[in-house]
Amino acid sequence: MAHITINQYLQQINEAIENHEGSFCAELLSFKHPHVANPRLQLASPEEKCQQILEPPYDEMVAAHLRAFQSHKEENWALHIMFAVTLDLRIFANNAEQQLQKKGKGQPGEMLEKAAEQLMSCFRVCASDNRAGVDDSKKWGMMFLSNQLFKIYFKINKLHLCKPLIRAIDSSNLKNDYSPAQKVTYKYYVGRKAMFDSDFKTAEELLSYAFDHCHRSCQKNKRMILIYLLPVKMLLGHMPTHLLLRKYDLTQFADVTKAVSEGNLLLLNEALSKHETFFIRCGIFLILEKLKIITYRNLFKKVYLLLKTHQLPLDAFLVALRMMQVEDVDIDEVQCLLANLIYMGHIKGYISHQHQKLVVSKQNPFPPLSSVS
Amino acid sequence: MCPAQELRERESQNRLHHFEVVPGTEAFRKPSGDPLRAVKEYSRPAAGKDAAKPSDLRPPDVLLRTVCYLIDEIVGSPSPHPWTEVYSFVFDRLRSVKQDMIIQRLSGKDCVAILERTVRFHIYASYRLCGEPLRIYDPRINDTHLQEYLSWLFDCYKTGAGPYPNQEEFQALGLLYNLGLSAATQHVLELPVRLRQTPSVKLALAISQAFLAGNPVRLLRLAQKLDFLQACALHRHLVTCRRHLLLIYSHGFSSRNCRFPLDRLARLSSLEAPLAAGLCRAYGVEVNQHNQVVFSKSAFAEPAQGRLECKLYHGIVSEKERGLAVKSIIHGCS
Repeated sequence: MAHITINQYLQQINEAIENHEGSFCAELLSFKHPHVANPRLQLASPEEKCQQILEPPYDEMVAAHLRAFQSHKEENWALHIMFAVTLDLRIFANNAEQQLQKKGKGQPGEMLEKAAEQLMSCFRVCASDNRAGVDDSKKWGMMFLSNQLFKIYFKINKLHLCKPLIRAIDSSNLKNDYSPAQKVTYKYYVGRKAMFDSDFKTAEELLSYAFDHCHRSCQKNKRMILIYLLPVKMLLGHMPTHLLLRKYDLTQFADVTKAVSEGNLLLLNEALSKHETFFIRCGIFLILEKLKIITYRNLFKKVYLLLKTHQLPLDAFLVALRMMQVEDVDIDEVQCLLANLIYMGHIKGYISHQHQKLVVSKQNPFPPLSSVS
Repeated sequence: MCPAQELRERESQNRLHHFEVVPGTEAFRKPSGDPLRAVKEYSRPAAGKDAAKPSDLRPPDVLLRTVCYLIDEIVGSPSPHPWTEVYSFVFDRLRSVKQDMIIQRLSGKDCVAILERTVRFHIYASYRLCGEPLRIYDPRINDTHLQEYLSWLFDCYKTGAGPYPNQEEFQALGLLYNLGLSAATQHVLELPVRLRQTPSVKLALAISQAFLAGNPVRLLRLAQKLDFLQACALHRHLVTCRRHLLLIYSHGFSSRNCRFPLDRLARLSSLEAPLAAGLCRAYGVEVNQHNQVVFSKSAFAEPAQGRLECKLYHGIVSEKERGLAVKSIIHGCS
């Protein structure tokens, strides 16, 4: 059976069709059947033979079967087909998901998870293609697939599933040679993941790369990258200009920026609650909350600039915080906030409990934000 | 609560727990099983095993009754059993309840009622068994199961018709238990405003904010307002939080001539003065004979692993337990 000729094979199928032997016919067309190992059946263009022996539509079916099991050994030109098909798959799954949710049917995320499973099996095929040379390797498909998978994982909130994909690409020798478009998408998602894991330095690097390399005609994508890059930059002390915010229609950040640089906690709280829905939907509300620490630093710096001394009474900070309507704040909390800023390196100095004073360094008591952390 | 065949099998193999035998027969060579007290045990799904024999599956109302039995008669048993034993028995039987629920794809009110009690049990256990040796209680395993139950419960809230009167309680518990975890905080932020504005969720959010803002003083102060079970959920973060307090104070108050009153530090960290002094020393922070703390950034050091006993510093949680019966805590009628 394993070594029959192409004619014998086609005759068998023909007989099976004529006798309506469904299951035998199915075996002859299955990739689980040993005939797929038969080199005599591996033809580049089996169409003619098939047409001679079989009636339509079976001739086409069998021809496609024979072509496919050449199995693309050491070839990767078909990756583009896979890209198109997998992209469609994800988009269909997305639509199916939305329709099901509208009808109130199915578990949330079910369709997308099923699509992810299929994508994952493609990814495994690509990642394990170790034999072919670099030019013919299916490894070139890895980044496209992981980008598709990231999109799904971010949507269904399963970020931990990104980790093995990132690891696979990081350890691959092709990681710097993928197309710019793929790299931009990849770094965008990996950057967001880093941000989610509070690894802000890495997040800034990745998102900056994505922003700088994103094609200038893709304004929408650049805007999406900025939504995450801005908070990270702000946390590291770089404030965006108003011009930039206007250009990308991101004025939601305008008041936040102003509040942080002025040390205006009151305005910060107002800005956060005003655009709460937007910030929460983008998943950046939390990181914007972290800007409070920097806002404290800027507020306390103002106190220092006003009093023009190196021994600052703790009461002065308490007054500042009360002015900003911080709820139930007292000296204990002032001490705690100051201690935290000193620990983080935002203030150089120490607190004297006996004298109820903050003693700051004569040189550079509030180091620039970008030099800290 | 237990399929007849399993009961017979375990009886003949002498594998009945003493919570499951006819009273008075415990001392026999083969104690006889009590069909009223035996509970289906968890058995790992394995290849070649017919896992889902329909006759062995307990319908939703039986599952809920089983959970209530475990709480009322085992957890709330008047005769004193060591809690470690109660835990391992109830843990296993709840796990088998979960298995039956999964096979039947349970959802809706009964499912929520079971999950809520299960979550309370695991949160309580995480506090009660803190510090027990690893072979008796493994916090990691308890945590894995608790996280699974929690996310299932949240899925039920999200997709079910409701109303679920206890939802606010559990959203708050989830946030406190997973303090500082982006996913947990983001989950709560995405809840409808109505739910976010409820007192317990608001308090939990305030605690999470204090945590993010690096303000352990406020965090511990707010923690005083928690009820007992909420404090249990937060309990595993207390060590980290007090460590953070000592760490930043070691930097902030680091000066040769500066002293910080021990009483004040004790109050900030919600501890009795002697315990606060003990905690300081565990982290290498000096306390002098005048009951003053001498902070110094170079002196701060991490205690050797296992040297710091979390259990010693449970006061802030345990004082809230007074007058509460474990049974009613887990049923949620406190």
